Amino acid sequence: MYKSIDEINERIRDGSVRVVSAEKMPDIVDELGVDGALREVDVVTTGTFGAMCSSGAFLNFGHPEIPIRMERMWLNNVEAYAGLAAVDCYIGATQESNIRHAEYGGAHVIEDLISGKSVELHARAKGTDCYPRTSITNEFTLEELNQAIMVNPRNSYQSYNAAINMGDHAVKTYMGCLLAGHRNITYSGAGCLSPLSNDPTFSVIGSGTPIFLGGANGVVVGEGTQSSPGNGFGTLMTSGNLKDMSSDYIRAATMTGYGVTMYVGVGVPIPLLNEEIVKHTAVRDEDLKTEIVDYGTPFRDRPVIKEVTYAELKSGSIEIDGEEIRCSPLSSYKKAREIAGELKVRIEKGSFTMALASRPIDALKINKPMAEKGNVRHVNEMMVLEFVTITGNESVKQAAKRLLKGETNHLPVIDADNRLIGIVTTYDVSRAFANDEQDMTVSEIMTRDVITIGPDAPVDFAARKLQQYNIGALVVIDYDRHILGLLNSYDLGDLVSGRGSP
Amino acid sequence: MKLMVEFDATGVQYPNIAAAILKSGVMINVERAQIDGDEGWTLLDVADNDADVFIAALSRKGVSIRIQKDAVTHNRTECVDCGLCIGLCQKKVFSFDENWQLVIDSERCVLCGRCAMYCPHRALSIQK
Repeated sequence: MYKSIDEINERIRDGSVRVVSAEKMPDIVDELGVDGALREVDVVTTGTFGAMCSSGAFLNFGHPEIPIRMERMWLNNVEAYAGLAAVDCYIGATQESNIRHAEYGGAHVIEDLISGKSVELHARAKGTDCYPRTSITNEFTLEELNQAIMVNPRNSYQSYNAAINMGDHAVKTYMGCLLAGHRNITYSGAGCLSPLSNDPTFSVIGSGTPIFLGGANGVVVGEGTQSSPGNGFGTLMTSGNLKDMSSDYIRAATMTGYGVTMYVGVGVPIPLLNEEIVKHTAVRDEDLKTEIVDYGTPFRDRPVIKEVTYAELKSGSIEIDGEEIRCSPLSSYKKAREIAGELKVRIEKGSFTMALASRPIDALKINKPMAEKGNVRHVNEMMVLEFVTITGNESVKQAAKRLLKGETNHLPVIDADNRLIGIVTTYDVSRAFANDEQDMTVSEIMTRDVITIGPDAPVDFAARKLQQYNIGALVVIDYDRHILGLLNSYDLGDLVSGRGSP
Repeated sequence: MKLMVEFDATGVQYPNIAAAILKSGVMINVERAQIDGDEGWTLLDVADNDADVFIAALSRKGVSIRIQKDAVTHNRTECVDCGLCIGLCQKKVFSFDENWQLVIDSERCVLCGRCAMYCPHRALSIQK
């Protein structure tokens, strides 16, 4: 048996359509069988509500009396991309305010607009014969814009890694704060309610599929960026009219220590056209696998700690190395349910009809990593091999002599087996002299928690560490804490000081 | 329940907590404390049915005792029930009810402030 999209739309129009949330499908299929479910149900609604950094909106302001071709633009001090001529921009969700930084960004501008708040526009231009104006500052509201079109290059991830931190320092990531020593696990996605979990082969979802986006009736543009359905990580590019959206389903957020993001509500209705589609919508959390990976590692290919199902993640705790670790989502399952429910109501009321995709999405595609041209430089290529050391029982005065003789600011402290146990700097020694403590031993004034790095780490990672801890040098050590060299911030030059400049 | 106990300049000179434990025979757990030569505070956990006896034993000049209530302020408008706070709080203040709505048990809070700091929607604040 199969059903046509026209039959389903006819039922939506005459009010006889039968819509259920994806959460209910497994039980319905168990009870009625695939064939029976296809007879009884016309549309399955899905929903997800989570942090979708890859979001933003195109805005058109209209031309002022003295025209301007805006080249650089700020909305409430958040820079928007203005290289679109002349009075358009794309405001990206993660862009941060020049003044409030991570506490206010593009996502907040978008949420403020949706909430009806007034936003300040400031733009600059070089001025041309046809666009003579060189600057403008103005207030505007969403209502006053000609167009405000949300476009999310990448959202509705089919599934996503869960995150843990096996390291000994807390990390602040887009998956939230991950405590040191694997004390929490975070995950994202609605599992069996997620849109792409219910159509992993893209049988129904493609370019032109009508969707719920942020409260508006939106549309799937097509394949999302980074889409990788071939290994379970498909994404969608979506679009919808900002003027029809609601702050119930679009929320700005800040992941502390990471930056601004936007919580977006997406719901995709799946018309049940044939048995294959029905089988896919019968997916349970128990069937959906993902991996818990170690975000304590600053590399792309993070180690997998454990394979789990969404059912295990949703249980609230996961066993790692014999310990029960608390596990919590950062997407909202309550909101995901609300979205699937709201979509069901819209379809039942006849205000939301189905459409076949006009272009399919490649369901086998696998995402490629960046192939970096040129060599990635590592710490062992840039570290200095000549360095002086001192032992803990020598005096501060001896440390001063050693620093002068070695013409260095950093003096690693070693034990009898040549292992690193601390560090003293010219600052520590000067302070000791100023306090008349030159006869104290090195071990009494040294810093014991030395910031170190391995020889194989990329220099970019070293540069970030130097900045993060605001220090002048890293001690390069092997696994036995034997010192291999020193990496000085001045040897890294631009990598440390030049960050952030264009 | 949790007791917020503050000591003034005279209060810090005396072993208040030790004396109160010996006098009342009540076991307590010191959850947090910051005490120096001039002043200090400590957050104590005491069983509900021992609280009256213990408070009586701890009451003294230079010591002020307050039962900690509503330590966590939850802004329902900003909260989206994501649940990130649940795993971050090792004191199990936060949980979901059967409808995946956030439930807060403020009585367990030790005022570390981590939930407020990391809430993506800035929906939590902690009593000062």
